[in-house]
Amino acid sequence: MNQSRPFGPSRLALVAIPATAALLLAGCSGGGSGSGGNGGGDAAEPQSITLAIGSANPNEHQFQDVAKAYEAAHKGVSIKVENLPGEGYPQAIATRVQAGNAPDVFQVASGSGQADSIAPLAKAGLLLELSDPDIKDRLAKGEEADFQYNGKVYGVPTATAVNGVVWNPDLAKQVGLDVTAETSLDDIIAQCPDVAAKGVAVFGLAGAVPFNPGIASIELATSIVYGPTPDWNKQRADGKVKFATSKEWKSTLDYLKKMFEAGCFQPGAEGAGFDALTNGASSGKIIGFFAPSGAAKSIMDGAGGHVTLTVLPFPAPKGVDPMMSVSSDISVAGSSKTKSPKLVADFLKFFTEKEGSKTMADGQGTLPVNATDTSDLLPQYAPVADILTSGNTRPFASVTWPNPKVYDDLGSGATAVMTGQKSADEVLKQMDSDWG
Amino acid sequence: MSASTRTVDRNAGTPARAARPPQPSTARRRTYKMGHGYWWWALPAVILMLGVVYLSTASGAFFAFTDWTGIGSFNFIGFDNFVRITQNPELVGALINTLLLAAGFLIFTNVLGLAFAIALNRGLKTRYLLRTLLFMPVVLSPIAVSFVWKFIFAYEGPLNQFLGAVGLKNLQQVWLASPTLALGCVLVVMVWQNIGFTMVLYLAGLATVPPELEEAAALDGAGAWTRFRTIVVPMIQPSIAIASTLSLIQGLRVFDQVLALTGGGPGGATETLATEVYKTTFVYQQFGFGAAMALVLSVIILIFAIAQQAATRDRTGIGD
Repeated sequence: MNQSRPFGPSRLALVAIPATAALLLAGCSGGGSGSGGNGGGDAAEPQSITLAIGSANPNEHQFQDVAKAYEAAHKGVSIKVENLPGEGYPQAIATRVQAGNAPDVFQVASGSGQADSIAPLAKAGLLLELSDPDIKDRLAKGEEADFQYNGKVYGVPTATAVNGVVWNPDLAKQVGLDVTAETSLDDIIAQCPDVAAKGVAVFGLAGAVPFNPGIASIELATSIVYGPTPDWNKQRADGKVKFATSKEWKSTLDYLKKMFEAGCFQPGAEGAGFDALTNGASSGKIIGFFAPSGAAKSIMDGAGGHVTLTVLPFPAPKGVDPMMSVSSDISVAGSSKTKSPKLVADFLKFFTEKEGSKTMADGQGTLPVNATDTSDLLPQYAPVADILTSGNTRPFASVTWPNPKVYDDLGSGATAVMTGQKSADEVLKQMDSDWG
Repeated sequence: MSASTRTVDRNAGTPARAARPPQPSTARRRTYKMGHGYWWWALPAVILMLGVVYLSTASGAFFAFTDWTGIGSFNFIGFDNFVRITQNPELVGALINTLLLAAGFLIFTNVLGLAFAIALNRGLKTRYLLRTLLFMPVVLSPIAVSFVWKFIFAYEGPLNQFLGAVGLKNLQQVWLASPTLALGCVLVVMVWQNIGFTMVLYLAGLATVPPELEEAAALDGAGAWTRFRTIVVPMIQPSIAIASTLSLIQGLRVFDQVLALTGGGPGGATETLATEVYKTTFVYQQFGFGAAMALVLSVIILIFAIAQQAATRDRTGIGD
């Protein structure tokens, strides 16, 4: 399971993947090997540093694997990994950093708006500037700005996740549902009632937890809104567009309501928690659910090979080019107060190198940052390999929104639209209001 | 009453003294008077209270006038946060929900708590066992209780299964996701867990009502309701004041149950001031605004608590 933060796409994985079902939780694997060398950075600095991460899954150890790989490649270096509880990690690490008690290296969120996001921490002078041009070159393409503040780099991505639908193709086949990465959302909606009549839901939704309808909305908007207008967020920041006047955003919420009314989600979806997703997925009542792609590996590992899952993009409506949301928002940064700035910078650079990046990706079940070679992708990514190479991808939209309230408005608002409490216009107006 | 009885007994056989109105004894007054030489005994507790409670509260109030995000520096923005509170329709909804929950909690816990206290006050052989059973939920964590109830209220949970089993399938609901039912579900959990507490408070009050008094009234022809209204209620007035004040305050600051059961949803239908304060401060990272909301919530609780104390204060003189 991925480490994550509130409202980021990987936050869903933190809770969705399996907190309730021990069966589905399992360790991850990974590995790395050192390439030799002595020390990291300046030998005059202390060669022992700490790395703090937030995790809800005690079995995962990809950060530990990267640390071991770095230690193996740099004799004399010692990295102590502190695994903090994933729930509340952003607040905990922000408080610690603010109080001057920061670890040397710690997990952060890319972009702005979260307690542990790079921009606010860098603005407060709490992060170590990374001036190595190699690091800047290796930032996730299309997301470079999310790791910088005032043009300077303060954090590095660890891996890239696809934010789509974790899909059970065998179950889909059993109920006669044929879905590929090219199937339109309208076609799927048309089949939902038949599938529901067989006691199976096409999609699982945790409507009571804003992150889940939030990630579903963003994934759908990735095709509808951000496909034709990749810089929509910048236009919103410049005041050129608004949520409330965007036909595309309204269409996004309207489609979610259509899905709800057609029975695409499990019964009681509007009041369901993450346990409904995990229970439904493991008991064969839910074919797919919206989550970062690392969830597929966690569940397959947990099921001991009894379940085969794949990753699909959120289907796009007819006439709309399908786009897939990818994000490299799980990042790491160094403390500006560290006594080993050169070692910290070198260790952070290691995350961007092939060995460090692959170790992280393999452990998380995600993709190495800026991976262009799809020949060695994990099997669950086969259905989306073409999309990944075609470039029909967009960053996860809310990473660059100014504050988490906007995303919460979207997530809770999407549920309210389904239950008829609010109209799409009301939800979008609230998002504009909270954009600031 | 017992003090008065003791006075009469002490003065028996001394008519001159017995003619004087009873005076509180000097010894008794001394019992409650703290000598000036010992004021410093309380100093550690006073300092601890000032530092831990009042200083931290004051610092929280200080941030209510800033735009602090929890990280980095902040600016003083005067009363902007308070103006923003009045302009936020979400907070108005949260305030209404808070008042509804507080009123419902106050009424149901006290009415049911008193009813159980009267039923289990005396006579019933199994009353001690029943009292224990009723009090047990009080000692449980509200979060744990809420998660159990969340399971009960789940769409495929025991409540809907029961309704289906008894042929009431048409009454099955998505309880916690229904905008009209969710708040009631939260109230049910709050009341269920706290009836035992008010029951104990009322049992303590009922213990001070002499059975002879009720028996005498019954012999004089007073019915059950008349005895309850004219004898029991006045005598348990202190218990009513305490139980209602505590339940009102608890209702106004409801947090755990809402967060665990609905998270404030669906669509903000169960949001309360306390959950708004939490989300604004720690989730949305608006510490300054959250502090202002917390200050407003504190003032509201204070006003209601004082008003409620005034409304339920003992005007009979009993217990003076």
